[in-house]
Amino acid sequence: MAITIALAGNPNCGKTTLFNAMTGSNQFVGNWPGVTVEKKEGKLKGHKDVRIMDLPGVYSLSPYTLEEVVTRNYLISERPDVILNIVDGTNIERNLYLTTQLMELGIPVVMAVNMMDLVAKNGDRLHINQLSKKLGCPVVEISALKGTGIKEAADLVVATANSKDKMLPVHKFGNELEAILNKVESKLGAEVKEEQKRFFAIKLLESDEKLPELLEYVPDITKEIEEIEEQLDDDAESIVTNERYQYISSIIKSCYEKKERTNNQTLSDKIDKIVTNRILALPIFAAIMFLVYYVSVTTVGTWATDWANDGVFGEGWSLFGLDIPGIPVLVENLLTSIGCADWLQSLILDGIIGGVGAVLGFVPQMMILFIFLAFLEACGYMARVAFIMDRVFRKFGLSGKSFIPMLIGSGCGVPGIMASRTIESDRDRKMTIMTTTFIPCGAKLPIIALIAGALFDGAWWVAPSAYFVGIAAVVCSGIILKKTKLFAGDVAPFVMELPAYHMPTITNVMRSMWERASSFVKKAGTIILLSTIVIWFLQNFGFTSGSFAMVEDMNDSLLAAIGGVIAPIFAPLGWGNWKFASAAITGLIAKENVVGTFGVLYGFGEVAEDGVEIWGSLASSVSATAAYSFLVFNLLCAPCFAAMGAIKREMNNTKWFLIAIGYQTGLAYVVSLVIYQVGTVFASRNVSIGTVTTALVVIAAVSGIIATMARDRKAGKSIQCGCDCKDCGGGCH
Amino acid sequence: MPLSMVKAGEENTIKRVGGKADTKRFLESLGFVVGAVVTVVSEISGNMIVNIKESRVAIDKDMANKILV
Repeated sequence: MAITIALAGNPNCGKTTLFNAMTGSNQFVGNWPGVTVEKKEGKLKGHKDVRIMDLPGVYSLSPYTLEEVVTRNYLISERPDVILNIVDGTNIERNLYLTTQLMELGIPVVMAVNMMDLVAKNGDRLHINQLSKKLGCPVVEISALKGTGIKEAADLVVATANSKDKMLPVHKFGNELEAILNKVESKLGAEVKEEQKRFFAIKLLESDEKLPELLEYVPDITKEIEEIEEQLDDDAESIVTNERYQYISSIIKSCYEKKERTNNQTLSDKIDKIVTNRILALPIFAAIMFLVYYVSVTTVGTWATDWANDGVFGEGWSLFGLDIPGIPVLVENLLTSIGCADWLQSLILDGIIGGVGAVLGFVPQMMILFIFLAFLEACGYMARVAFIMDRVFRKFGLSGKSFIPMLIGSGCGVPGIMASRTIESDRDRKMTIMTTTFIPCGAKLPIIALIAGALFDGAWWVAPSAYFVGIAAVVCSGIILKKTKLFAGDVAPFVMELPAYHMPTITNVMRSMWERASSFVKKAGTIILLSTIVIWFLQNFGFTSGSFAMVEDMNDSLLAAIGGVIAPIFAPLGWGNWKFASAAITGLIAKENVVGTFGVLYGFGEVAEDGVEIWGSLASSVSATAAYSFLVFNLLCAPCFAAMGAIKREMNNTKWFLIAIGYQTGLAYVVSLVIYQVGTVFASRNVSIGTVTTALVVIAAVSGIIATMARDRKAGKSIQCGCDCKDCGGGCH
Repeated sequence: MPLSMVKAGEENTIKRVGGKADTKRFLESLGFVVGAVVTVVSEISGNMIVNIKESRVAIDKDMANKILV
């Protein structure tokens, strides 16, 4: 007989680990609260007809967070055969808050108490027989990490589901509340099943806003609410919460023996004292990030990328003195030997392998970075980083959790955007996705090197200024976007559970790394493959001597034609030149392509990474200001196809994808325009109408931002504490 | 007094939880209820890490202002 089991529990209680152990599927296990936002499904090992649904981790069944809404709606409308409630044994009181609510749903519940090994280690004792009697549901002890008790839990769950017992909640609140609940239950419509009555009665008392979506008939219980509020002198919602916690403490008293501790501080407390210390927090964080970045981007990462780009996807590499040819070389030999047509050979070698290879070349480096990040996430440090950075990011409308994606984004935008998934607030997440790629990624460095070398004589300040422009774009976007209708409203309050520090298992770290890396590789195989073919086509085909054919000279290609058409758009930016426009287009495949395209367009064929060969030609075609405007445009505009694919996927909505890309490109255009127009004034002291208009627009925009910030600051204070802060000296009562 | 004014290491009992209904409900599900014992582990410019019901929770200054102890 087919059975559906719903797995429910608090975040960080080991739910996903248990799910993996029960189903044997490969899923990511991390420590960020809310990492399982999607519904996951699996089949119980050895039982083909038993489905397990992994529900998002929640603290209660009130509709506060997205996860709670998902979990609650599933439990109420889908009504699984049995709920397997996983509970953290070291934090049983808080966990039971959810359990008591699950019991009210009228669905059979089996409770699995996890981390029993830790409970024993602390010297505490939990009497599960007593707990089972008090709660009215079967209870088993497990350790998801060590894999003990899982078989027993699974058997018990299946047996419970098959027994078809209705299982009514046994727990009782205070007499006054019970009396009112009885009255409310009798008012419920006939469509509510007997075993669900208690749940709906309680939710009615709590004035749950989402009830009309769940109930056809919502009775008016204003009188009952008034009655109980008068009797117990509190608002109805708080009464229910307090009664629930009182009931839980009464259970705990009889089931949980806590050993007296001489020292109240756990190891996690001690670590937190140091790593979140007000003086040490930032230096420690900076040191850890420097190490991660240094290893994964500059040292080991560079070797890996060089090996992948120049070796595997290049000339070839050697292993213990054995020469192994690169993939392009191998493929070229193969294609020549079978007498493949020239155009097809060009498509495969220059188009597909060149394009996809350029992207795949970053995979080894990314894997190293992902291992570090997975480790930091799984051990519990990443949650602290969000906490440390929150104060800074809050100032411009982002949350502390936005920092991680940006940090990763400085290596590669794709994993950076993907890392935004750990931000629960929809608004903060969307804003992070939109701004992450402003931080110059590794592939933008060649463009910076090219411009710095060709037009600024390799001046030291060009590269740092690129990062500065990126950071400024993030900060300004935060402030600007916050003002728009799309992102109106307060930043979600920062409340986050910090998991206890622990050594993650290698399997979990590797699983997490692999999940991220493989989704990147998949993207390279689809969207990037497609776009490289399109660009290759545009580069190599065109109209020559009146007919459409493959062209030798890129100047005759379709790409050049398109570049010529759109070039005037960039004229106000100082580089209304088809070669620059075309280079910007090819930058959409991968940003480092910009340099390569210049090489081809200026007739040099292959150029070095920083394009040293074309410095002269470039310098003679545009002014320094125009070149800097071009650089900034490429830094800020729509990212490469891979990153755009990631944005599309994470936004999961075409409208939002277009908004993000449009905003990025629009901002890039405006900033470059300002740089060119203002820069030209300084360089030549020639004032044109265009410059004046630009200057006016800039002044208006800046003063607008400052004015709204000042207004917010004033308003913010009075909302916060409702009193004049001069009077209470900052401590609001 | 608001939780935001409590020094690290001090143990206090919660007297009131304020704020919007949504936020309040969420805080309650995390264990921030009247009568619960809360200990401040550390504090950085108003944002705090506190111990409540055997778990650690990070809250920002605005939230800490709304919890009275």
